[in-house]
Amino acid sequence: MRHLWRRGAAAAAGVAAMALAVTACSPAAENNSSSSNSGNTTVTVRLWDEQVQKAYDTSFKQFESENPGITVKTVLEPYSTYFDKLRTDVSGGNADDIFWVSSSYFAPYADNGNLMEIGSAFDAAKSGWVPAAVDQYTRNGKLWGVPQLTDGGIADYYNKDLVAKAGVDVSNLEWNPTDPSKDTFLKAAQKLTLDANGKTADDPAFDANNIVQYGFNASQDLQAIYYNFIGSNGGAFQDGEKFVFANDQSVQAFQYIVDLINKYHVAPSAADTNDNGDFLRDQFIQGKVALFQSGTYNLKNVADGAKFDWAVAPMPAGPKGRVSVVNNIIAAGNAKTAHQDATQKVLQWLGSKDGAEFIGAEGAAVPAVTDAQGPYEKFWQNKNIDVSQFAKAAEGTTISAPVGSNYGAAANAWKPIFNEIFLGRTPVKEGLKQAQDAANAAMGK
Amino acid sequence: MTFPEPSGPGLPEPGGLVPVSTGPGAAGPGPVAPPPAVGSAPAPGTTSGSTTTAARTPSSGRSARLLLNVLTYAILAGGLVLTLAPFVLSVMTAFKSPGQFASQPALTVPAPATIENFLQLFSGDRNFWAPIVVTAQVVLVAVVGQLGFSVLAAYAFARIQFPLRDALFWVYLATMMVPQVVTIIPLYTLFSQLGLRNTFWALVLPFVFGSPYAIFLLREYFRSIPEDLISAARLDGAGTLRILFSIVLPLSRPILATLTIITVVSHWNNFLWPLIITSGRTWQTVTVATAGLQSQYNGNWTLVMAATTIAMAPLLVLFAIFQRNIISSIAITGFK
Amino acid sequence: MASKLARREAGIGYLLLAPSLFGILAFLVLPILVVIWLSLNSWDLLSPARYVGLDNFAHVFADRAFLRSLGVTLLFVLLVIPVQTALGLFAATLLSRGLPGSAFLRVIYVIPWICAPLALGVVWKWIFAPTGGALNAVLGANTAWLSDPVLALPAVAAVSIWSQVGYVTLFFMAGLAAVPDQLLDAARIDGANAWQTFWQVKLPLLRPTMFFVLVTGVISSFQAFDTIYALTPNGGPQGSTDVIATRIYAEAFQTFNLGRASVMALVLFAVLVLVTLAQQFYFRKRITYDLS
Repeated sequence: MRHLWRRGAAAAAGVAAMALAVTACSPAAENNSSSSNSGNTTVTVRLWDEQVQKAYDTSFKQFESENPGITVKTVLEPYSTYFDKLRTDVSGGNADDIFWVSSSYFAPYADNGNLMEIGSAFDAAKSGWVPAAVDQYTRNGKLWGVPQLTDGGIADYYNKDLVAKAGVDVSNLEWNPTDPSKDTFLKAAQKLTLDANGKTADDPAFDANNIVQYGFNASQDLQAIYYNFIGSNGGAFQDGEKFVFANDQSVQAFQYIVDLINKYHVAPSAADTNDNGDFLRDQFIQGKVALFQSGTYNLKNVADGAKFDWAVAPMPAGPKGRVSVVNNIIAAGNAKTAHQDATQKVLQWLGSKDGAEFIGAEGAAVPAVTDAQGPYEKFWQNKNIDVSQFAKAAEGTTISAPVGSNYGAAANAWKPIFNEIFLGRTPVKEGLKQAQDAANAAMGK
Repeated sequence: MTFPEPSGPGLPEPGGLVPVSTGPGAAGPGPVAPPPAVGSAPAPGTTSGSTTTAARTPSSGRSARLLLNVLTYAILAGGLVLTLAPFVLSVMTAFKSPGQFASQPALTVPAPATIENFLQLFSGDRNFWAPIVVTAQVVLVAVVGQLGFSVLAAYAFARIQFPLRDALFWVYLATMMVPQVVTIIPLYTLFSQLGLRNTFWALVLPFVFGSPYAIFLLREYFRSIPEDLISAARLDGAGTLRILFSIVLPLSRPILATLTIITVVSHWNNFLWPLIITSGRTWQTVTVATAGLQSQYNGNWTLVMAATTIAMAPLLVLFAIFQRNIISSIAITGFK
Repeated sequence: MASKLARREAGIGYLLLAPSLFGILAFLVLPILVVIWLSLNSWDLLSPARYVGLDNFAHVFADRAFLRSLGVTLLFVLLVIPVQTALGLFAATLLSRGLPGSAFLRVIYVIPWICAPLALGVVWKWIFAPTGGALNAVLGANTAWLSDPVLALPAVAAVSIWSQVGYVTLFFMAGLAAVPDQLLDAARIDGANAWQTFWQVKLPLLRPTMFFVLVTGVISSFQAFDTIYALTPNGGPQGSTDVIATRIYAEAFQTFNLGRASVMALVLFAVLVLVTLAQQFYFRKRITYDLS
């Protein structure tokens, strides 16, 4: 008996020893930016886009072969938690050497000295970057990252079969919040929405509880939907860092979108979409949504996923024409990286034609390095897909993405109120006023 | 210690139960007269009460009892269905292709069943093996460390005389009242400032030095071991550690098994602390990976259900094997 | 000689205690000091922390989102605890009739309790999904369970109850098994029917069990996080499922007001201490009375 026990104790001790031996080893060890054994430095790059991650991985293989001694690894963090994690990581000193930042979130990092300045070492390359991107990320006279993606403008993907069946022409639609006679967009969207009996949304017998196909992806999507509707109606979202989205034009724009969902039922309930930004993309890919307004960031997903014929049309024009949001993404260097030189080298590579070409080579996204955009265009030409509408939207009138030193807190403040507005439970005007106050309070802190 | 003790809903986190009712160093039993362990309790057919009442009017009594039995089974079966349905349905979904999922009603059986979600889960960048290995290591270190150090402390409290013993024990008990949510922010701050964020140590350090709860249970158990056995060994010249390892521990196997089970379950399921103190894939635990997958592939339910299936499977297997011990463990930890 | 021996023994005692004492001090006592310090500072993780005195307290007690979360938490506890206790007691009564299969069913009912609350939350998020979810498929409905400010909290509470009823049942079964047969026989001789026996004999004797189940249940419900986080990540519609724990998390790790979040944590701590003491006081009196 006691003998048995002793054997058990010995076994337990063995297990304990093993536990300590295997300790601190993870099969996914990729974050070990400090592991610079035998002169080999690992630089890690964090981003949120799976498609671009693949492009980066090929790009960095090329870089590694040209720069022996430096290994580059990519780290993917889902967008929904990206900026929460980034803040705690930067604060805790374990952020990656290079990380993506979007215009809305970069300000506090720049102000607190967390980002490497893109200084004179990049002067030669700078001229080759999309000027709008350089402007967007210049703060206090300094540039805080290497422009990586430029989203182009926003346009409407459409399912050719569904559009043809409905007999609708989507090449030049117009929406109008005040004059129904000028509103061709709503009529098209209604024709493209079907219930289980095949009735369209403008039919009095239409069963709104049993919709099998939606006309349009109206939803609480800043970049793809409401920012553009606001812009196309002559409204504004922000004035400097102050939120002003409760102005009349913006209220009209929001009201129009909310009506598309809750009054005309041409888009699914916000219950499906408020917390799930990809819901409508997936529905479009499954052939259940006819018009899907989005940007180049979904081009690859749609091209890979859709099993039907599709094309890209301009987004509907509002009273002020087509005003599209444009946005750019930078790769920022972590100011506290342990390997300044290697990180600089990787950043330079990302800002060069050779390095950035990979981003577009598989059609994943439009590189913000102008000279590197050729492969992107070629890729989609070879696929026989005309993506020029995105570029056209970006060349037209644009409205720039929101910014602010405390953007995250502001977005957290307006999000729950927007949720209610889109669900149709809070009147638009009242809700926007509340949300605006909350957002400004959060921004001002 | 156990402070961000993973407190799943219902984990027998004793909160104020124990400290307040057994005062400082009180020798007495638990706060309330402990009912017997569940494991030994209501074996089918042994119960008192209604089974013998039918003697009076045999026929009407029998049919009334039959009706009651049918009703009981109907309700219990309803409970069975409600309990298991979410598991069955989610596993079914995990074996559907996204196409099947989109085109068929949610309740249809996958035909043909596919393992593509699981393949996807374990392939390439998602690599769900990593979180499993990480979590297993955390559990292993937590079990060994937490139990080992708790045993030492409990033995000191139970069997060794030293100044301030009772005061210290009271401090230990008082700490059980501190909820995890309160310590999570300062612990995050401490680990972050020490540069320990996103390390294996961050995952285990707060737990590995023992748990006041385990110490409390072990102390009670050690005190119930007859003094004669120990003084006899001491007369034979055995030292403290020798007594602990060759007499006390062998007699304490039930409580050790119980604590092992509790520790394994609570650390496998722990979420809030790993969520905050890790980032990226390297030290992701299974729960954090599942949550991340759900937010990244929002709406891709077949893949997400494959992940929840994997997250729950190991404990379900463990439960199937050790269900007797686990059930009686719950009773012990609840009442000792 | 004797004192030397005693000193030696004391030394061993402290030695055995050392690791756990270090753990207590480093990971429990110190954090409480830190959380108090943080509550007096403004810190957003990026810029340096700044002493602000009691500003955080003033702000938190005027913060509608926080005050709402106190109410939501209370409502959550009030939904979960009575239902879960009643169902657990009911199931235990049925299982204790000793019909064949009871032991098996008892095991089945505990299964949800073993599983990670986070994973269960994710599973139920799918079940509640308006499109493609199992519940709407069963009901043939189109309900947006988790997006409706009226339905969301009951839905979340239901998941919590579902996962804990089996666990509660176990304790009541143990309690019921401990009821002495003589008492039941005596009740029967007095002509009490099953209903009266339950209310007048069994239930009073179940008080210790009731005490344990309620105390642990209330304390863990006040801190509920994992399941709610998985089901309604941003506090739910109109903040209707934003309990204290999720509010603290959001304030600290999404809005990055560590100081204010620390104040909220201290408030929760105080509430829990009060709840514990109140329950202790109430039941202690009753129990002493009953056992005497």
